[in-house]
Amino acid sequence: MFDFIKYKYISITFSTILIVIGFGVTFGKYGGFATSLDFDGGLRAVVEFPENVERKTLEEYFSSKNLEAVLVLMDKDKNDYQIDIGLGSVDQIKQLYVERKGKDSIEAKQASAIDALIGLLQEDFKLEKKKILSANQVGSVVGAELTSTGISLLSLTLFFIMLYLSFRFQFKFALGAILALIHDLVITIAFIGFFQIKPSVPIIAALLTLLGYSINDTIVVFDRIRENAGNLRDAFSQIINISINQTLSRTFNTSVATLISVVAIIIGGAVELYDFAYVLTFGIILGTFSSVFIAAPLVDIYDGLSKRWKRS
Amino acid sequence: MKSVQWIFVPILVVASSLTLLYPNFAERELELAVRKEFKQLPEETRKELLSSFAERWKADYNPKSDWQIEPDPSIFPEQDYYLVKGRFITSAKINQLSQENQELILEPKNKLRPTWVEEYIFGGRPLAIRLGLDLQGGMRVVLKGDFDDYTSKLKDSYTKEIEELTRKKDDHSLSEKERKEAQDKLKEIESYFELTPGRKLAELEKAKLIIDNRLTNQNLTEPQVRIQKDQDSIEVSLPGVSNSSQILDIIRNTETVEYRLREPSDSNGNSRGTYHDAIELEEMKLMNQGKREETEIVKFQNIVKQKLGKDEQDRFLAAMEKKYNIPEKYKLYVKWSRANNPKASLLPREFVVLERAISLDGKDMRNARESYDQNRLSYYVSFSLTSQGAEKFFDITSKNVGRQLAIVWGDKVISDPVIRSPIAGGNAQIDGEFGQKEATDLANVISEGALPIPLNVLEMRFIGPTLGIESIEVGLKAVLLGFALVIVFMLIIYRLSGLVADIALLVNVIVLMALLSLMGFTLTLPGFAGIILTVGMAVDANVIIYERIKEELAAGKHVSAAVAQGFENAFWTIMDSNVTTLISGILMIKLGNGPIKGFAITLCWGIVTSLFTSLFLSRMIMDLLVNKFGVRKLRIGFKKLESKNV
Repeated sequence: MFDFIKYKYISITFSTILIVIGFGVTFGKYGGFATSLDFDGGLRAVVEFPENVERKTLEEYFSSKNLEAVLVLMDKDKNDYQIDIGLGSVDQIKQLYVERKGKDSIEAKQASAIDALIGLLQEDFKLEKKKILSANQVGSVVGAELTSTGISLLSLTLFFIMLYLSFRFQFKFALGAILALIHDLVITIAFIGFFQIKPSVPIIAALLTLLGYSINDTIVVFDRIRENAGNLRDAFSQIINISINQTLSRTFNTSVATLISVVAIIIGGAVELYDFAYVLTFGIILGTFSSVFIAAPLVDIYDGLSKRWKRS
Repeated sequence: MKSVQWIFVPILVVASSLTLLYPNFAERELELAVRKEFKQLPEETRKELLSSFAERWKADYNPKSDWQIEPDPSIFPEQDYYLVKGRFITSAKINQLSQENQELILEPKNKLRPTWVEEYIFGGRPLAIRLGLDLQGGMRVVLKGDFDDYTSKLKDSYTKEIEELTRKKDDHSLSEKERKEAQDKLKEIESYFELTPGRKLAELEKAKLIIDNRLTNQNLTEPQVRIQKDQDSIEVSLPGVSNSSQILDIIRNTETVEYRLREPSDSNGNSRGTYHDAIELEEMKLMNQGKREETEIVKFQNIVKQKLGKDEQDRFLAAMEKKYNIPEKYKLYVKWSRANNPKASLLPREFVVLERAISLDGKDMRNARESYDQNRLSYYVSFSLTSQGAEKFFDITSKNVGRQLAIVWGDKVISDPVIRSPIAGGNAQIDGEFGQKEATDLANVISEGALPIPLNVLEMRFIGPTLGIESIEVGLKAVLLGFALVIVFMLIIYRLSGLVADIALLVNVIVLMALLSLMGFTLTLPGFAGIILTVGMAVDANVIIYERIKEELAAGKHVSAAVAQGFENAFWTIMDSNVTTLISGILMIKLGNGPIKGFAITLCWGIVTSLFTSLFLSRMIMDLLVNKFGVRKLRIGFKKLESKNV
């Protein structure tokens, strides 16, 4: 039998270090999260490229110019690509265009970012005007309102989950579950920042999925603890250990089954879904880890503290 | 559990689910409408268009030749459409066909014929699961905010106040202070008409929010609404729309509702107003000469029938205002009705002249509801007024008894009842000859607040999926592969019981899809994520149950007792974890928008179906195996666990 409780401080410290590193790198190295069209708005152009231009060519082109672009293949036969460039690169594009046209070019100085982008693409890929199918400066789809509704929604959801768990279990379990959920959310956001994954609608979906998965996982372990606490006469920390060990094969099998379907997306090579799949894969592993190494030990810690308060 | 009697329940559920899903994989028939004007084109052009259509048909639209088309695309059809037969005719494909052959295909008239399921069981309501913008694309409309119209409307609503203040300002019988106040107030009102970029953006933001909410609430879809600042416009993308008249409904919904007084009758009170009579006289003359086609109203009807657009209608009315010298104080409108036949279509039937000043507008109304009127066999809309609105309404109705007060919805006059007596109390109703949908639309416009600015269509086009075609194909294969692997994994780990779990899992997905189909849900990637989570939780439920049964067997229980006890022990674990997730799901549906809502809807229904399949269906099959078919050696996992007391 593996003694999970013995390592509780190590696992909590490990998590804390991950969070600190994640956010440290996010803000220290990158100065924040990646920008994306869905959240911040930016430039979007749909362009028909000549046949010899592949995704790789385009990716290299943009990274050599130091531009953050997201490419989406819209039409395989015509080789149409949609190019999304976040607001962060707008100044850079204008700068490039002015350099290209010469410092004294009035035309270049007055060009909007979208004109500059089209100008550069037309020149570098020798495109006719009609190959630029559309080009717009677009606003965000989700943005400020999502963040504000998201936070109030999350607080409310956590509150109701807490209520239900306090009613079905005990307050200490509710607290452990909620803290583990917040822990999962924070670490995943740190992960998104660390790898500069562009926030987008699919990423939100992945976040929601991992929260659902994590709470499900946690409750299964807690349920076993509750059951054993009714039957066994051991110390509470011992009961937690027994319960985690009893549910271990179930925890493992479920994680593997769920991971299979997510990893399939990565192996399958759906390029535009990679971020979504990465966050989900990370989330499932994390959700499993947190229900065993974070949620249950937190309940134990709270249990110990509350006994001490009672004595004093 | 007395399983045998209950076996019909899951069979019935699966059978009805498959029936519901039938339209998704059945062969469909599409009427691809063609333009009548096509025949008037020069022969050269016609040949060229048809041959390019035929070429693209073979190369692009139907590369696998799995669809049939009647007649051949190189021939112009005798009846008004090409008939396309095939499976998986998506709205994205239909949009693409129409978009790329605009001179040939009349896109608003395209029609996907309902399958027998939709026809006989659901009265023609479409049932197929729609895919969202990210998975299949849709229509994109760019709507330009018409700020000129906005300002002129705004001016209309202040007409009376401005008149009053101008009079006060120059009225020397008033004190200096009062005149100064009037002047300041005038200045303030005039500042309302100056539109700074910041204000324009604020109005656009308001409009964006209203459109977004309206679309999300009406058809469970995830629209994408963005503002394009440089052009003062809003870009709306909607998935799963197979013709543009559907998306134009949104714009029709952007209209305002307002009350305006009709021009007064002449001094004898026996006419309907000077200008109205002048128009009427001319129209009668033409009718008596048998020149019905030349009357203004028939010309106007033709503009409407040919769908030439609002701009064309406005131009026509402006020309008429000139022709009949209608002064600035009044404005020419058209009254739309069904000509005493509830089945007839709503058409312009009569010109009416209304005051330019708005008596009451949508801002003063709220809580609109549609109700059915038994006596008139049509719907009406009742609403209440804000306190300020009630005051205005009483004021108007008491000063103008005997005159007609017209209700204008967008640019249509829908009724113009005579004011019989002053109306107080702040409740009113609108009786038009409404069908249910129109009444609901009108009530929505009043309740949700009309859009702050009128919007005109700038461009409309078909867009491909935002995730990229390749990704979707690969992703779909990956998901199917993943699903197959999960099934194999369960078989390896749990053997025969794994098979039971797999059956439950398949039924789960089928029933869930059928439910989504029934709701007219639009599936997007977030929705898909919800399904992945559902599958994960359904697998988990089965895993929990089997692990419990294993424990019971290891403790030496008889197989049937172990199965019963295993389910018993797992029941509350599964319930608790699912109910907790359900709580968060319901909150997300209630409060979330767009992607969050899409995710939550699939998740909540997924939880319902997986509870059914894991706690009811799996248990029934296991019971049957153990108690009916006498399975004595339940292989759960690698160790053969048998009951020791057989």
